[in-house]
Amino acid sequence: MNIIEIKNLSHRFADGTLGLENVNLTIREGTFVIIAGPNGSGKTTLLKHLNGLLLPTTGTIRLAGLPVSKNLAKSRQMVGMVFQDPDSQIVGETVCDDVAFGPENLCLDRSEVKRRVFKSLKIVGLLDFEDQKPHLLSGGEKRRLAIAGILAMEPNVLVFDEPFSSLDYPGVKQVLKQIISLHRSGHTILVAAHDLEKVIAHADRLVIMKDGKVVKDGLPSQLLGELEAFGIREPCASRLGMEVQSWLN
Amino acid sequence: MAELSAFNFRHGSSVLHGLDVRFKLIFLVLISFASLKAYTVALSVLTLVLVASLLHAQLTFKSILKTFRYVFVLLAFIFIARVLSTPGSVVAEFKAISITREGIYDGALICWRLVIVVLTGLAFVLTTRPSEIKAAVEWLLNPFPFIPSKRIATMMSLVVRFIPVIFDQARETADAQRARGVDNRKNPVYRLRKLGIPLMRRTFERADKLAVAMEARCYSENRTDPWLCARLRDWAALFVVICLCMFIVVW
Repeated sequence: MNIIEIKNLSHRFADGTLGLENVNLTIREGTFVIIAGPNGSGKTTLLKHLNGLLLPTTGTIRLAGLPVSKNLAKSRQMVGMVFQDPDSQIVGETVCDDVAFGPENLCLDRSEVKRRVFKSLKIVGLLDFEDQKPHLLSGGEKRRLAIAGILAMEPNVLVFDEPFSSLDYPGVKQVLKQIISLHRSGHTILVAAHDLEKVIAHADRLVIMKDGKVVKDGLPSQLLGELEAFGIREPCASRLGMEVQSWLN
Repeated sequence: MAELSAFNFRHGSSVLHGLDVRFKLIFLVLISFASLKAYTVALSVLTLVLVASLLHAQLTFKSILKTFRYVFVLLAFIFIARVLSTPGSVVAEFKAISITREGIYDGALICWRLVIVVLTGLAFVLTTRPSEIKAAVEWLLNPFPFIPSKRIATMMSLVVRFIPVIFDQARETADAQRARGVDNRKNPVYRLRKLGIPLMRRTFERADKLAVAMEARCYSENRTDPWLCARLRDWAALFVVICLCMFIVVW
């Protein structure tokens, strides 16, 4: 089943710049898709359309058959987005408050909010930090908190915008492990990235964007050799003619 | 980082943390109004009570003073204005300017009262989550039919949420400018302009990012608010605060 269907999507910003041009994409439920492209290629703009943070100038986006523009609240519950800068996503005064923010916005019963907070913090391994101030967490922990905040809304699709930016090696491993475990638990995963080294070994599909257009779409193994032509660095192992290994090995 | 500012909720288990937010809001109003009628003895008692409450709520004496460094600038202006404009027995004189004993007393008294108001606000913000403030304001405004209680409550909680963000930005911007030698420029207008413009721009940018992140998590005025429950200790605290306010006004 296709969980995301994007048809002829174009987006023009208020200043007249074309952010996306005639994007067509369908994503099957449970797949792990990487959306790659250099800065300014339209990755974030595309992701923001999936939960209605941006609305199309032309074209349509459907989530499980429902048009996003007519079901904004449902779309935002279905598509959880982890932003590039986790600090801008943290709204709570404590870790626990921050995770509760989403379920509270869904007007859930207080006991249900509590259950979801506990469950999400347990999944990302932050249960011991529940009364901690979010700003005191490390980069990797902040990113996991952002994931917990999204998980508490029980989404079907998880969207990560440059999830490894400004993380150290242990932070990258923590977040990668989390993403893979969420994929294994049945979530559809979309990762926007310009550096594929850390994540490509786990993806089912690679979509390459340039200047607001989808220029390539296929299996990662088939597209690795073409990356540099689109301003994306080819993973080291692939350059040396070897198979790309997971960062978790 | 935002947590360096004391005007920020801190998780804790103090008496103030445990009180119902509606009562705390009422205490804030009562103590602030009562302090405007207070004199030295009552102000001393209030200062002791408030500083003890803040220390009990795990705020250090150093961070209280740090929080007050900007307030002290404002208080200095108020004090000087009062000292120079109050008639009375002259202590010192320079040309047409005279400093009076009554002016010094009045200035000190007004500044002390304002310190009490700020300390009370600090104790409130330090021990109350913005979501609780929203719920309390909404509850208190609910009986008034023509007031959009949800909207006002949301705005208030967002303002409280943004105070540490603005402090955070100001500190980062000032540090970045100090690293580039702004201390060598003695003109305060130049320095204020160089700090103010980027600070405003960055604050708005960050507010915009936060608003998008909140929108992505379905933020709306209608949400599950914290459970408000008045217990015996809240009524006991109300009784103590009313007694304290009566003592302040009468003394």
